[in-house]
Amino acid sequence: MFFHWLEKNPFYFALMISVVISFAGLLEIVPNFAQAARPLATEKPKTVLELAGKNIYVKDNCIACHSQMIRPFKSETDRYGKYSLSGEYAYDRPFLWGSKRTGPDLHRVGNYRTTDWHENHMLDPQAMVPGSIMPAYKHMFTNVADIESAYAEAVTVKNAFFTPYGPEFKRTRVAWEAHRPKVLADAKKIADDMKDEGVKKAIANGEVPEIVAMIAYLNSLK
Amino acid sequence: MNALTIKALGFAVILILATIYVVTSMDIDLTDQVNAITMGGAISIAVITAYVTTKYIGQMKTDTATGELMEDNWDGIGERTNELPSGWAYTFLAVFFWSMWYGLVGYPVDQYSQIGEYNEAVLQHKEKYEKKFENATPEVLTNMGKSLYFVQCAPCHGNTGDGLSGKAQDLTKRMSKAQILDVIKNGSNQLKYPMGMMPPGMASGQDAEDIAEYIAGGLKGEAPAAYASCTSCHGADSKGNNGMSPDLTGYDNILMTQTLQHGKKGIIGEMPSFKTMITPIQTKALTAYIQSIAQ
Repeated sequence: MFFHWLEKNPFYFALMISVVISFAGLLEIVPNFAQAARPLATEKPKTVLELAGKNIYVKDNCIACHSQMIRPFKSETDRYGKYSLSGEYAYDRPFLWGSKRTGPDLHRVGNYRTTDWHENHMLDPQAMVPGSIMPAYKHMFTNVADIESAYAEAVTVKNAFFTPYGPEFKRTRVAWEAHRPKVLADAKKIADDMKDEGVKKAIANGEVPEIVAMIAYLNSLK
Repeated sequence: MNALTIKALGFAVILILATIYVVTSMDIDLTDQVNAITMGGAISIAVITAYVTTKYIGQMKTDTATGELMEDNWDGIGERTNELPSGWAYTFLAVFFWSMWYGLVGYPVDQYSQIGEYNEAVLQHKEKYEKKFENATPEVLTNMGKSLYFVQCAPCHGNTGDGLSGKAQDLTKRMSKAQILDVIKNGSNQLKYPMGMMPPGMASGQDAEDIAEYIAGGLKGEAPAAYASCTSCHGADSKGNNGMSPDLTGYDNILMTQTLQHGKKGIIGEMPSFKTMITPIQTKALTAYIQSIAQ
């Protein structure tokens, strides 16, 4: 009999156990995971400006102090809004869940903070929230965001992962030049709600300051 | 009582005394129920440990094997046919029934989910909350409003409600002159009052200046002649015709509700809608608090 042989051969016995457990795991975990990780019907991929903001979020290491994951506990949903669903992160590459909450969670910050608040807060956090230990991010007002790389990222994830960007996202310079005014228009919309003259001037010159991309990204977190 | 029992009891007493010493030196409040239960637990662990250790060490000294030796043996190591200890049997049965309850009734495998439990907890809390604060006294509401204010409102309006020198609405006053002039010039319908859009350009030039001055000053003294065009919608007492249009004298509950529901974008900046975050009772509480800080 097969199992008599198996009981006398510990190596093959162990191997068989791992095969059986892996198979069960495959059947139980994978379908559920594939279902839950699918993008929500309401979920849209980030615009190029928002992607540029996301890259600044990564670059300036916001994730070291801020999470983007609201757990289903009443104390959290009271403060931050509805709990997060895995389908909401489907277009995040990489996901920015974070695990450290030195500052508050940001997954739905777009629901309860606005452009002008972020502008004031990034310049001088303590002026808005006394006792806050967040540093000021003044350099975001002068640094220029890399919207070209953000566009390249959008095209890449479209080709590699079938992220639903429109047909105008193509791997050519012409396509980028055609898309650029749209990014600048988005940026101008944000800048119109801001007070900083330098930012408005930079956008008129065709450059997007980091703060604008950052605010676009934060406002998109809903 | 043999020597071993005495030693064990001594050991237990030392354990208990040590526990009490540590707890009292840490200044733990034993009138707190949870701490008292924990203390009781610690003492019973000490007693049970001493009792069980004594019993079995004593038994090991005198005990001999009982039961018949079975015929089967494994390389000379035999086994006796003892009865299953009754404690084991009862525990096994208890665990069996408990696991059946757990999987079929308590947390049914096909029905239970973490989100479901969350939803139920929130629903229960909401019911309890609404019942508890349905007829809350003004002091209770003001206190609730204050704690809510510090979580949800203070990040923009500041801890004192002054709007952080012009970065947000100053909640200690109703409106500034610049804001009133802006509304008169551009009209407004952001708060979605039943009266509808306030048309732009209801007054201009010196008239608008006079009206703005009068409202910003808290509607004191003689109203300017041009103010008559305001009262047709905002009411003769400027309190908004029972919720048809915004109250110009202060923050009433309707104004608070409309603002928290719809948000507002004025000359200062934009306030987002808080309709998913703040309930009607909480709005009432915030109204009470903001009225209490008004000058």
